[in-house]
Amino acid sequence: MPVLLDPPEGCRRPTYLMVKHHHKLEMLMYLGGLLWFLALPSDHIHSASYFSENSLLPGLVKGGFVEDSFAKTLLVSLQDEISANPTKMPYPWLLAQFRQIGLDAYTHNFTLNYPLANDMTFEGQNVYGILRAPRGSSTEAIVLSVPFRGSKSVHPSTAAGVALILAIAKFCRRQKYWAKDLIFLITEHEQLGAQAWLEAYHRTSSGRYGVLNSGDLTSRGGAIQAAVNLELFSDRISHVDVKIEGLNGQLPNLDLVNLVHMLCNKEGVHHTFHNRANLGDREYNRGDPIKMWTYSLRTMAEMVCAQASGVPNGNHGLFHRFGIEAVTLTGYRKVDRGSPATFYQVGRVLEGILRSLNNLLERFHQSYFFYLLSATDRYISIGVYIPAVGLMASTLLLRALAVWRSLQIPTFQTDKEKLMRAQEMSNCFASVGITVLVAHALGVVLLRVPVWSALYLNAADTSLSVVIGLMSFTAISTFLPIFKSMHSDTLLLLYVIGLIELATILLAVSLHNFPLAVVCSIVLVPFALLVGGRRLRFLRIIGWFLVQPLLLVAGIILVYTSVHFPDDAILPKAMHAFKEALTFSYVDYAVYGNWMLSVGATFLFPMWFVLWIVVLKGNISTSKDSCEAKKGQ
Amino acid sequence: MIVWALFTLFVAHVSGLGQSELYGDEFHEELLLKQLPSGHVYAHFQFTTLWENGGDQPNHHCHLFPQSLSEVLHLYNVDEMHLSLTGGLWRHENWGYPIVSAPPGAELWAWFKEGTEDVDKKWTLLSNALSGLFCASLNFINPQQSLNPKYSFAPLGAYDTPSRNRSLLRYSTLPREIVCTENLTPFKKLLPCDSKKGLSSLLSAGYIHNANYHSLGIHVRPQCKDVNCHETVLELRQTVSLVYDLIILGQESRDWSFRKLFGVGLAGSCPLASTSKIYVDCSTNGTSSVYTLTPDPTETINSNRGGYNTVFAVYDIKKTNIINMFSISSTHKGPRVYLLNSPPVLHATRYIVGYGQEHGGIVTKIHNNHWKDLDISLFENIPWFLPIYYHTLKISVNAGKQILKPYAKHYIPGRDRNRPYALELLVTLPPRSITEVYIEFDYSFLKWQEYPPDANHGFYVGAAVITSLLPHTKNYTGIPIDGSTFSSSINASRDTYPVTLHTEILLVTLPTPDFSMPYNVICLACTVVALAFGPLHNHTTKRLQMLDSCEESKGLLASLKLRLKSLLSKSSSEPEKSAPEQKREESKSKEPSQEGDPSCEQKIMKRKKTKGTAAAK
Repeated sequence: MPVLLDPPEGCRRPTYLMVKHHHKLEMLMYLGGLLWFLALPSDHIHSASYFSENSLLPGLVKGGFVEDSFAKTLLVSLQDEISANPTKMPYPWLLAQFRQIGLDAYTHNFTLNYPLANDMTFEGQNVYGILRAPRGSSTEAIVLSVPFRGSKSVHPSTAAGVALILAIAKFCRRQKYWAKDLIFLITEHEQLGAQAWLEAYHRTSSGRYGVLNSGDLTSRGGAIQAAVNLELFSDRISHVDVKIEGLNGQLPNLDLVNLVHMLCNKEGVHHTFHNRANLGDREYNRGDPIKMWTYSLRTMAEMVCAQASGVPNGNHGLFHRFGIEAVTLTGYRKVDRGSPATFYQVGRVLEGILRSLNNLLERFHQSYFFYLLSATDRYISIGVYIPAVGLMASTLLLRALAVWRSLQIPTFQTDKEKLMRAQEMSNCFASVGITVLVAHALGVVLLRVPVWSALYLNAADTSLSVVIGLMSFTAISTFLPIFKSMHSDTLLLLYVIGLIELATILLAVSLHNFPLAVVCSIVLVPFALLVGGRRLRFLRIIGWFLVQPLLLVAGIILVYTSVHFPDDAILPKAMHAFKEALTFSYVDYAVYGNWMLSVGATFLFPMWFVLWIVVLKGNISTSKDSCEAKKGQ
Repeated sequence: MIVWALFTLFVAHVSGLGQSELYGDEFHEELLLKQLPSGHVYAHFQFTTLWENGGDQPNHHCHLFPQSLSEVLHLYNVDEMHLSLTGGLWRHENWGYPIVSAPPGAELWAWFKEGTEDVDKKWTLLSNALSGLFCASLNFINPQQSLNPKYSFAPLGAYDTPSRNRSLLRYSTLPREIVCTENLTPFKKLLPCDSKKGLSSLLSAGYIHNANYHSLGIHVRPQCKDVNCHETVLELRQTVSLVYDLIILGQESRDWSFRKLFGVGLAGSCPLASTSKIYVDCSTNGTSSVYTLTPDPTETINSNRGGYNTVFAVYDIKKTNIINMFSISSTHKGPRVYLLNSPPVLHATRYIVGYGQEHGGIVTKIHNNHWKDLDISLFENIPWFLPIYYHTLKISVNAGKQILKPYAKHYIPGRDRNRPYALELLVTLPPRSITEVYIEFDYSFLKWQEYPPDANHGFYVGAAVITSLLPHTKNYTGIPIDGSTFSSSINASRDTYPVTLHTEILLVTLPTPDFSMPYNVICLACTVVALAFGPLHNHTTKRLQMLDSCEESKGLLASLKLRLKSLLSKSSSEPEKSAPEQKREESKSKEPSQEGDPSCEQKIMKRKKTKGTAAAK
């Protein structure tokens, strides 16, 4: 009630306390947020997943899929086709198979104008077959897709997946219960084919104009309700990994994820999330809670990393933008002993998924769209995880408040002085406004730097020139503040604005892509707090310099490389990965509309720049607490 | 013996009466079976009733014509009425043209008699009456959802005046309508023989709704009585169109039989029918597939129509001696040949483009495979909740290479909750072209009560209707406008062949509120009330009094001491003192303590002072 009753006059007690103890509070809030985040996968916080959508009726029907031997025959035949022509997709073979099964089969052509080079085009062709629902009028559709890979591909072959969906198509063709059209889609060029097909289906363009020419489709099947992407590496499967992270960190509806896990469970297919099975219930459940927690934390951390990158880890990730719930099922080859999952079991799983989706009366809307998974059957909802980022980002706001109050309450009294002070402050505002504007303008320019450097910088290869361009641009902008001097009040005000904007960005990002916001908060918040202060200024400068977005990316890649490839020479590998990462981030932005680069360039970099000015120029402290001073009088 | 002879005489007389030669009324039952290019089997039942005096006198005896329907027609001044109830979509690209085209769901259009006043009211009453008659949700058709097309849906009947007043036409569709047994039963009851005898006995619900496409149609129109056309008769055509997928019906078999398609055999013809014939289209026999029909047909007819030759095997049920059950079956020989699909001259698809719930576009793609120009009229019927932008209308040919200008455009903008958007275009399609009609729309918000229970399923947009005159009869099976029965289409060459196409219906997801929101709002509101109302109520109703701050400041130990003291004194004085005395004692003991603590007073004063200085600053 004090908020309602007390007029905002002078040092109100909560504000006063907050400002007085802001250092301690900030520390507490940051650590609280961090601990909250780390505690999420513990048994007391995450909860068991469940089905919200009743009409899915998972696993209620008896499976009827028996075409596994047909799939095996197809696999042999397809492998012959691939070995005869290792680079190209066997279109005639696929079309003939679809037609023989009795589906309407079509091809779809697309062209990519590579965004980082002039006159560099790639062409591709997708094949799709539509099973027209006998009980529907083509108003709704379900997609089952497989990315086709030739034998020269760096990824393992998905021929088994192609064979299996053809067998499933044959099975489904004979069933009369379909109420939604089934679209069997075989895409080329990994995610590019899927993106082109989706863009053509919806006749839009997600990326930059003219980059991906997605062409047109001959035939469609109504509004797509859900999609399943299948990557089977062999006909003997050790486990099926369910991939969910999509473009820009979008996730499919939790009901769909649960559906897949449940049906895998039902058919006895070993299923994992980020290649991590649930800790065996029998062994550990009553045993060691710490072990359980660390295991779940690691699973969650894998998901956080995958989601924070904003890059889809399968073709399913591209469907989410169009309001289509999609997951990828990746089946890994069984190498060790033991009985593998065969076409029969995986086919039954897919049949079950399709039949459940066919039951859907409404679009997926019941269950969560924002969640974290800490195991295949444990989830953390948005309401539980959001305080972590909220706490961490609020520390910045608290600091901003403290600095603002120190600016606001002057120690002098006379009217003349007050007037002068007001004058000064208005000058500050203009200067701060211009600085922030310049920072953002630099960000917008930065977004275009990759193209310019790729087109006009004649380095050995495109990715190298992109790196050189970005590096030199950021280096120049790093030294820009040297040429301008600033009043200490202006710096303080700049600090306030910078902190508020950073906090806003973090909170806004957390609503779209929570993991990204969490990672950014954990890294940026302490350094941003360290920006203001007198002591150990050199360390503060070094600290803030290290979290420069480009260096941060480099650092993350270095760590990632050293963790995942400990045996190789790390530096060259990391350098190569860094080049690729920067190039791909631009290509993703131009082709798929990935906003990782845009956020980095137009928001994170300008904020870093603003605070960089503060830390470089500033000799500021936030400890002069006027309320305290006032108390002393 | 005499009795027997009399009985046979009577039966003969009755059956003679039944054929209605006396009154000039006729009833024909026909069934066309056709193997479609895609391997599906198309079965089209047509029951035609011609009523000689229909339309003249309201209370005329109906004979063969269903009385319930005739009453409705007379009561609401209906000249011509076309109703279809359809499940599934006719796939023109693979199946060619149907005899009667119908969109998924229900479609109703009617021409009212010249001079009808208050057409809208009559239209509402008609749809309500038909709703009762066919157990369909036609009662949801109201003037707010109906349209009055300007170019499409020309009258098909025979009329005195060559041009009719367009304001007498009403059109509406219910794309969401689901057609089932409950519609079939009343449909069959309109037939003279019900489903007891004749071809209608083949219509068993279990098998019909197993089909990929099933469409019931009721078509009423005035028709010329003879070639001279001095007099008209009222024609009622009841049609049932079915498309069976043989792959679903039986594994790996291309053979079909009555048993496979309808589950039963035929016991005989309807005694009231003038003709009862089954036509089997055998044109493809011998070319793409080889099959034999059993039993042998009564006759084989070659129909040369519009340059295309069709072979029909005709079974005249009236002439067939049916001992047990009559059934036709086809047995294929040789390997299955997968034919390349050759789509018909004119076909169209329609779809929604764009994503998200802000704005989108509707694309209608019309294919003209003919080597000459083709004139069409396109009728778009878009519900009010998808407000379209007329200025975005774009008609382009072959992926934007050419922009078409329509001959005529007729656009009636919709009004929220009042009138759908109607757009009619008369366009000439260039030869061998794909024409694309594109228009943009917004997704609008509905009021929360306007959402159906399954709001997240989406909302339907009715099919677009394309009308044209085809130059030849490839894939064409329609009945000529001057004929009533299927037999009239044999050798019926004309200059042009009218065709109507219905495109797909569309499903759009409107921005849907989270309907669990009210619950959340209630929870939130309750929390706010609990948190804010309590203190507010306290502040406004209770009097604020100065607290005894000394007691407060004494701390835990002191207060405990005090309690203990009072407790002790209470226990010691209890036997002697009465309650009021005790109270007095207590108040007495409090008073001096309040006055006699100067440090306390000082503290309060000090605190006030600080507050005062803070306020001054």
